[in-house]
Amino acid sequence: MLALQILIDGFAISSLYALGAIGFTLIFGVSGVLNLSHGAIMVVAAVIAWWVSGTYGVSPYLGALAGLAASLACSFFTYGVIVRPLQKSPSIPHEEKEIFVLTATLLWGIMLQEAVAYLFTNNPKTVRPLVEGVVRIMGVRTPWNEVLTAAVSLGAIALLYLLVNRTRTGKTLLAAAMNPRGLTLLGFELSSIYILVWAIYGLLAGGAGVLLGAFLGVSSDNAGTLTASAFAIVVLGGLGSVSGSLIAAYVVGYLETLTAYLVNPSIRTVPALLLLIIVVYVRPQGLLGRR
Amino acid sequence: MTALLDVKGLTKRFGGLVAVKDIGFKIEAGEILGLIGPNGSGKSTVMKCIMGIEKPNAGSVKLDGIDVAGWPTHRIARAGVGIVFQHARPLQRQTILEHIKLALLPDNLLMLATDHGVTRRAEEIAARVGLSQVMHRLPRTLPFADLRRLELAKAIARNPKVVLVDEPFAGLTSGEVADFSALIGSFRAEGHAVLLVDHNVKSVAALVDRVLAMYLGEYVAEGSAEEVMRNETVRRVYLGGKIETAARPEREGKDRTPLLDVRGLGVLYGKATALDDVSIHVGEGEFVSVVGLNGAGKTTLFNAISALVPYSGTINWRGETLAGRTPGSIARGGIVQCPESRELFGDMSVRENLDLGGQHFPVAEAAKQLDWLFGLFPILKARQGQAARTLSGGEQQMLAIARALMMRPKLLILDEPTLGLAPVILEQLSKALEVLRQTTDITVLLGEQNVTFALPHADRVYVIEHSRIIWEGDPARFAEEAGAGYL
Amino acid sequence: MLRSRTFQVVVPALLVLILLPLGVNGYILGLLTLAYYYAVFAMSWDLLFGFAGEVNFGPSFLIGIGAYTAALLNHYWSWPIPPCLVAGAFAAVVAGAVLAIPALRLTGPYFGLITLVAVLLLQNVLVLFAGITGGEIGLDLPDVLSIDASTNYYYALAFMTVSGAILYGLAQSPVGLILQASGQDAIEAAALGFNVAKHKLAAFCMSAFFSGLAGAMLIFYLGTASVGTVVDIGVGVNVIIAAVLGGRRTILGAAVGSIFLIGAGEILRPLGQLSTFVVSAIALVVILFFPGGFMGRLLQSGGRE
Repeated sequence: MLALQILIDGFAISSLYALGAIGFTLIFGVSGVLNLSHGAIMVVAAVIAWWVSGTYGVSPYLGALAGLAASLACSFFTYGVIVRPLQKSPSIPHEEKEIFVLTATLLWGIMLQEAVAYLFTNNPKTVRPLVEGVVRIMGVRTPWNEVLTAAVSLGAIALLYLLVNRTRTGKTLLAAAMNPRGLTLLGFELSSIYILVWAIYGLLAGGAGVLLGAFLGVSSDNAGTLTASAFAIVVLGGLGSVSGSLIAAYVVGYLETLTAYLVNPSIRTVPALLLLIIVVYVRPQGLLGRR
Repeated sequence: MTALLDVKGLTKRFGGLVAVKDIGFKIEAGEILGLIGPNGSGKSTVMKCIMGIEKPNAGSVKLDGIDVAGWPTHRIARAGVGIVFQHARPLQRQTILEHIKLALLPDNLLMLATDHGVTRRAEEIAARVGLSQVMHRLPRTLPFADLRRLELAKAIARNPKVVLVDEPFAGLTSGEVADFSALIGSFRAEGHAVLLVDHNVKSVAALVDRVLAMYLGEYVAEGSAEEVMRNETVRRVYLGGKIETAARPEREGKDRTPLLDVRGLGVLYGKATALDDVSIHVGEGEFVSVVGLNGAGKTTLFNAISALVPYSGTINWRGETLAGRTPGSIARGGIVQCPESRELFGDMSVRENLDLGGQHFPVAEAAKQLDWLFGLFPILKARQGQAARTLSGGEQQMLAIARALMMRPKLLILDEPTLGLAPVILEQLSKALEVLRQTTDITVLLGEQNVTFALPHADRVYVIEHSRIIWEGDPARFAEEAGAGYL
Repeated sequence: MLRSRTFQVVVPALLVLILLPLGVNGYILGLLTLAYYYAVFAMSWDLLFGFAGEVNFGPSFLIGIGAYTAALLNHYWSWPIPPCLVAGAFAAVVAGAVLAIPALRLTGPYFGLITLVAVLLLQNVLVLFAGITGGEIGLDLPDVLSIDASTNYYYALAFMTVSGAILYGLAQSPVGLILQASGQDAIEAAALGFNVAKHKLAAFCMSAFFSGLAGAMLIFYLGTASVGTVVDIGVGVNVIIAAVLGGRRTILGAAVGSIFLIGAGEILRPLGQLSTFVVSAIALVVILFFPGGFMGRLLQSGGRE
């Protein structure tokens, strides 16, 4: 029974992690940016969804949409006002761009987090779930919302997969990740490709945030941890490797669930961190990354 | 007498690619050896293996009798090898003198202060390379040639037995070249062994005692500069075989506005001059070749046309300026470049690479173009599903050209398509170009080092040397007028 | 010339700081005391990033090791303060070396990542063994440096001045020059005959020493060691922001940045929760528009053309 419980809970958590991490890895793969405001953007989406559906009593679907819109706006702001100006700045030497982008997105994340805390307090908030009720899966009582979380996460990932591998536009994203210069020479504008990527990223991070808010609840204090877990998953899977991130998300999700159920919930993140250290030392390119 | 530097059987593989294969040579004290070869010939890898920046897979590097192959770089440096990098990045907040002092420091963690002897020695070296006037200034305030002098000064400060110099004259004016030759010559006078690494014999001929030529990682020839220049294989590598030309009669409308008109083009890389007052024009339907050795400025010229590097001067396309347009819009506007580096999407299939080229057109039109290209390059049809990365060099080049042609360019810019390819592939490429020239009204601007490849198709030829256009004319006259001095 | 210029700015500034307790109240002194310890954190970080070119995302790993080593020795074995400080500093060096020796082989973001993960692990371990370490609540210390605000202030000021002088001197010395060359282009530095790994490791140990020592001093000032004050990621983030804000590769800028960061947080306190928001926004604006930081501007205008 416990095993089944772990299996189901771990699956839902892992799917959610995968959704959150995949946007992070997409941005890194296509534009080389590690966005440290990631967790804060997820929090913004969740809190806006909570606020809209809770305060105005509108349907939770509208709330979720509002959350997505908020994260989309944050995502564009991150790119347009912070990342792009830094990348274009002539006064920052090339080899220091990375630390500047990291520091700046980190500061931006703190600003978002503090703004949320100021406007809505840092109390944990649970977004009204899109569906109510429970279902018995082989005897385990599981909220419908948990099933929905896993289903929507996997659905969004599948959609992304189809977009990237089956459409003309998706192919340009893939090409931009492999060789941006080559794409320029074929008459594509990198700037519009980056805008598209950040739009997709905003939707993915927002979706993950809203689902997380409905499933486990979210507080502004979680922003840092959310960024850290996305970062850990992405490195574990290999920077820029989408399939690697997927596998790593399930490894980390199940490792955490197992630890929480079998050992002690307060150290649920420790085994994943240890695994991360070992992987970085032994195989820095990650599970599926290429050198 | 044992040679100061004795390299034997040096081999270096990168994955499946053999970059250097069984290379050996000796340099005596007071001797200058030129190591030459076109881009991708492996000469830089040889230099890196000697310095320990790359670890050779096989072979020995004996320094004064001691085999240092595989040692870490800093130990090789301490053992007596110095290197003058082509692209050095000086520290921003340290003066020239401090940079020279750095090179004089021992590798010691407890060096908390330097004595006056070091400062005096640094000042002497600054004077020797002609930097005394500027030794208290910061690097960013100095011209390019002075930064190159600084690199020489650092090598002198290390007082190595063996000095490796990477492209000693790149980016320098002819006056500066003379200065640098004298400085490098002084290494020889002091009994150092010097290895000059460069693209071609010509630029180092006056300075070297001997030359060793490499191509595709292998030994080609060795001897005096004249002998190597006369060597059949070397001539074939650089010039190709016998020169044939087939200029078509002048096309109509020669006096109309040319399709592409480049005037007074200048490009700087940092402080180095990469192009200086270059003017060329290409008429509609013309096949124009720009020939010049590696490093002469061909790629820079094409990159300026494609708006990939900032430039001064004007570039007009059909009478309108290209200034302010993005590389993407220039490509969509009809100027499509197939770059030297090919820039394929390695993990995508051949078909996906081609489809990306045709993506600006409706599906049906792209499909038609694809059919036509598969006719031109049948091998690509057979390789459709294969990842571009796994193709051979020649196939990759064909894919790069085909991908550019998928965009139905008005002007196709081909940069060094022959780079690193075997002769049999060159023939196939050459045939494809001729088909293109005879059956379409495409305009082509070809940049080549290999004259034999460049001339047969050309209607008109420019010769570029040292960042400038030095000759223009029809291919028939090239052999008589420019050919002899080319190599 | 540049050095004497620095000297001309630093000496009067120090004089003002020495005379400060005569004119301001204990509350402000307390804030500045905290700022001075942060200054040492930030200067140590800058030695590693600005000079050796290695981004340490986990300065609070080193700080935390130093602080908790000292705290445990004092709490359980009642060691007096001085040996606790020494032990804390050396524990940080040992832990730093264990972390850095394998990690320095890694390139790019991986070194930074390892240092970040190290902090998260340390944090988890401290919480896991809450019975010994006091967990989230913290560990009370029987001893404190002093209960007098001015005395504490002078301890911190003296410590910052001495550490700053050593770190700055080191950065300006030949070794600092070698470090900077290694950070900028490791291959070229090696080709000049310098063992880059050795120098970077030495820089890391130096950075660890001062971080650990400052961490240990800080908890004896606060009277308690807790995850929130010496280990939390947020501590490290503040250190990095202070150093970048003040101007990387200047050492002294890191101190200025720390004092600014804590001072600004205090001035903006009336804004309540928004103060962190505003401080972050200011830091972001500085990074976007003046990437050289405060000191970067100053030194730039002092450079000879």
